[in-house]
Amino acid sequence: MPATDNQGSFLNRISIRRNQFIPIETCNDQEQENLDLLQRHVADRFADLLYIHSSTTTAAVTNSNSNEHSSATAAATDSPSATHDTHTHPPSPPQLLSISWFRNLLDTYLCCEAEFKAVLVSGRDPSQFSRPPLDRLIPDFLERSIKALDICNAVTHGIDLVQHWQKLAQIALTALNQTPLGEGQVRRARKALNTLLTSMVFDDKENANSNFHGRWTERTRSFGRRVGGGGGNNKDRTGGNFRSLSWSVAKSWSASKQIQTMSANLAAPRGGETTALPVYIMNTIVVFVMWALVAAIPCQERNGLATHFQVPRNLSWAQPIIGLQEKIGEEWKKKEKKGTVGLLDELQRMEKVAHSLVEFADTFVFPMEEEKEAELAAQVAELAEICQKMEEGLGPLQQQVREVFHRIVRSRAEVLDVLDQITKMSAPVPY
Amino acid sequence: MDPEKDKPLPQTSPTSPATTTTTDDNNHDRNATATYDNNNGSSSSEHHPDEKSDQDLPQQNLGDINTEAEPEPHPDPEKADHPGINEQQEAAGDDQVNVQETAPPFSIDLKKVSEEVDQYISTVLSTSKGDESTAPPDVPSFVHQFALLIEAKIVDYESSENPVKWSQLEQEDSTSFLEATLRLSSLSKAISELSSENKHAHFVNRIGGVLQRAMSYIEEEFKSLIEDYRIHDPDHSNSKQHTSSTPNEESDENPPAESAPAEDNNFPGYSEEILSDLLRLSKAMMDGGYEMECCQVYFVARRNALEESLQKFGFEKHSIDDVQKMHWESLEREIGNWIRTFKQCASVHFTGERRLSQALFSDHPLMSENLFCSLSQGVILQLLNFADAVALTKRAAEKLFKFLDLYEALRDILPIIDSLFAEESMTEVKREASMIKGRIGEAMISIFVDLENSIKADSGKTPVPGGAVHPLTRYTMNYLKYACEYKETLEQVFKEHQKIERADSATGSDFNYQSQAAQNPNTNNNNNNNAVVKQSPFQTQITKVMDLLDANIESKSKLYKDHALSSIFMMNNGRYILQKVRGANEINRLMGDSWCRKRSSELRQYHKNYQRETWGRLLSCLHPDGLMNNGKVVKPVLKERFKSFNALFDEIHKTQTSWVVSDEQLQSELRVSISNMVIPAYRSFLGRYSQVFTPGRQTEKYVKYQAEDIETYIDELFDGSAAQMGKRRP
Repeated sequence: MPATDNQGSFLNRISIRRNQFIPIETCNDQEQENLDLLQRHVADRFADLLYIHSSTTTAAVTNSNSNEHSSATAAATDSPSATHDTHTHPPSPPQLLSISWFRNLLDTYLCCEAEFKAVLVSGRDPSQFSRPPLDRLIPDFLERSIKALDICNAVTHGIDLVQHWQKLAQIALTALNQTPLGEGQVRRARKALNTLLTSMVFDDKENANSNFHGRWTERTRSFGRRVGGGGGNNKDRTGGNFRSLSWSVAKSWSASKQIQTMSANLAAPRGGETTALPVYIMNTIVVFVMWALVAAIPCQERNGLATHFQVPRNLSWAQPIIGLQEKIGEEWKKKEKKGTVGLLDELQRMEKVAHSLVEFADTFVFPMEEEKEAELAAQVAELAEICQKMEEGLGPLQQQVREVFHRIVRSRAEVLDVLDQITKMSAPVPY
Repeated sequence: MDPEKDKPLPQTSPTSPATTTTTDDNNHDRNATATYDNNNGSSSSEHHPDEKSDQDLPQQNLGDINTEAEPEPHPDPEKADHPGINEQQEAAGDDQVNVQETAPPFSIDLKKVSEEVDQYISTVLSTSKGDESTAPPDVPSFVHQFALLIEAKIVDYESSENPVKWSQLEQEDSTSFLEATLRLSSLSKAISELSSENKHAHFVNRIGGVLQRAMSYIEEEFKSLIEDYRIHDPDHSNSKQHTSSTPNEESDENPPAESAPAEDNNFPGYSEEILSDLLRLSKAMMDGGYEMECCQVYFVARRNALEESLQKFGFEKHSIDDVQKMHWESLEREIGNWIRTFKQCASVHFTGERRLSQALFSDHPLMSENLFCSLSQGVILQLLNFADAVALTKRAAEKLFKFLDLYEALRDILPIIDSLFAEESMTEVKREASMIKGRIGEAMISIFVDLENSIKADSGKTPVPGGAVHPLTRYTMNYLKYACEYKETLEQVFKEHQKIERADSATGSDFNYQSQAAQNPNTNNNNNNNAVVKQSPFQTQITKVMDLLDANIESKSKLYKDHALSSIFMMNNGRYILQKVRGANEINRLMGDSWCRKRSSELRQYHKNYQRETWGRLLSCLHPDGLMNNGKVVKPVLKERFKSFNALFDEIHKTQTSWVVSDEQLQSELRVSISNMVIPAYRSFLGRYSQVFTPGRQTEKYVKYQAEDIETYIDELFDGSAAQMGKRRP
């Protein structure tokens, strides 16, 4: 089946198709079959992402068809998801919204995308692109992918920021790992953690307010309420002038708004429209993946993210996505209430540990009591574990985000090429 | 300034140095200090009364150490001084101003104590190395004294009312502070190596606390100095900026700073003074084991500095989405800014940035390289993102030239960037950059493909009035001529990025460079024209566009019912094309001499066709055949000849004055050649036959034109002036 050959040149396939032109009517069976397969694979792959989570957490949303899907995964190993399948069954399944989970999510995205493109183009007479419903859906899809590109960029920068935080956490770790632990080192750790938490406030949370800037300068007045609690212990903060990494996106850009526009007019096709369905499926996946990334990784302006994206509940292939979407949406609502940093599991934990380490530092007395020592050791170990995960995972995750970016660009170009060929690009000479 | 600045930790920490020196409610350390001071100089009683562990210390070891330390005498004045200071301190309580006033004796003290501490450190080090089994000695009082002095100094510097900035410090003071910090650090290391015993642990903790405060102060000062960069506007209106932004820091205490601005484009934006301060502070942080902090502070500050300077260069961040929606005029402007910024970054910023990191972290080449790489990487990726966004915009013919500028900037700058970074670093950036270059290259190629398609699709059915140059010809030729000014670049683009075009052509266009190249020998033989060597891809492309244009013009010429006019149209357009090609070196060289010769001969052919078509008929009226019968002129025939000549000429004149030949040279060539053809023939015809008519009425009736008249009328041809045209200017 040509649909599985996602490595081969897309253009070659078109040209082959063109030479052995098959009338649309005879295509229909093949098309339906490809479409069924696509739906099943999408369901399977996202079910894996959901199940991984379900097995590790108590509140598992088990819906009937997800079960079938996960058992069908084994049968579907001849699909492009073969590599992906090996990823999704590691010894210990990744926590929902953890770095490893996102890496799986992006893998899933890439697989689905490849299959979608095959279904969209190779089984199809290119001239369908200029007829309804594709004539309307394709430009819409391309528009959406442009917005996804911006989100990829923002997320790339967001990962930079997380890496910056990781380095600050590592300073704290280095300090706290000294034995015997003296007050100088404790203060050193606290200073680093305060910088970290301040940066989380300024670079992430306060972005939720409308008055964000391209960069943070001299923003100190309101600082200190949250970080470290009382007013008396700000000493370690950075001399009354906090600066951090600026957002490397346009000033007025808002991740939240992008997601909102992306998910607007995302209407499921009515029953018989088999041509429209793959586009709709891919649109849903793109929006979901981007939405999840934005929710997890610090991005400029993320207000009201929870409500910006809903999937219709009646589609069987979308059940796992809906399950994930509900879970993440809940998490997001919690986040907005608590005002914590992004949903990335490691970040949430880092923020928590940082807070309690700051608290520890505030009450530190030398020499440390043994009881406290054990408590500290546990926290230090957790921070170390988080840093380790970040160290190992953030780089590859960032690369994957870039890969998604380039994939979108490439696919867009390929679709545009097809469009050019149909319309013969007869733009008049502008004389 | 932060009012809490001088409070290192909340009151809950009993060992906090701040509370030790500034409050009375903590007797523990203060008493200890007093004890040391009182016992200073006496070798026997180094006990710390409040620390029970001290009692466990074997006396003989204590003695050893102190006898070692003893050679350095403790002069009496100093002995007297110590309690004095402590009294002062105690009396001063929270009031740091008093402490500051006692600065001079402080520094004298510090010098002495420092020497003692140095001595002590080396003793401790040699002891611990020499004999590990011996129990560690006690810490002498001057060491405590030393820690106290340093701490007092930091408290002073960090005072909330009157904080001391690094730049305000005299060279001497700052040097001694850094030395003291280093000494603290070695001290702490030495003692920790010496023993992990509880008593020592307390002391190490104490030293560590002071060291941390010192480092924290250094870090903050490093930070505020490194953030104190001055980025000059590109227009170099910098002097004003320089003075205005630093009135506070470079005040009277440091006059040389102002007189040594060193503004000659040194990008990182620090004066020599600041740079040397930065160097000292960073060195102190590195030596004190605070290199991670140093890196973070440096990285954040420099990243913001780079960001700011990008802005100053007019480079604004746009989302891809925005760029898509931007008007081309605005985008053109942004591309201009981008190119300027990118060039500036490569030539000035990155080298400056590298110099800075190398200067500050000269002992840590790897760290310096890493910092430099991540900083530049951030900037480059941001810049590339814009290029990416541009490449993703809708293709349009008019964009070609800005795309070319952008492409050239990338092509020229990337090697510079490559040379700045180590082979293996920045692979990601390099990959992205070459991908984007590829995308822009492919976009340009597809613009050319679009041009082909547009030419093919241009099938207007209305002929241009008067056979004038068709707008398609004008547009295409001007476009090509302009494109050829970028010949080198386009050659490269077509060589490097044409694979897409080839794949396209397999299905879409009928053109395939490879097959064309393969067929070239044959093609040339068949056409038996220029024996071209293999054409370059861009040459092939231009030739192809030219051929398409020719074909299109040719088909447009068929729209004229009048063959002569058709020839004029072909001449006009052919001439225009040839003039454009000859008028510009690049395109001329690209098309080659033989192409031009071929075109010229084609033009001559059209010229001949035209002459034959229009004037051949007229000349046949002047032919002597049939005029003579038995050596006599047949008058009715002659009359007929004159009549038809006059009618024909009138008609030609009437029609062809409305035709357009806007190329002056071509116009005059045509007129001259027509005159040359017609006038001598008419003159001789007239000379031979005009006397046949009776002078007067008959002559006037048939000999309507004199040769001179004909010449005048011929000179009126092709100026497009007739009624149907109105006035048409080239």
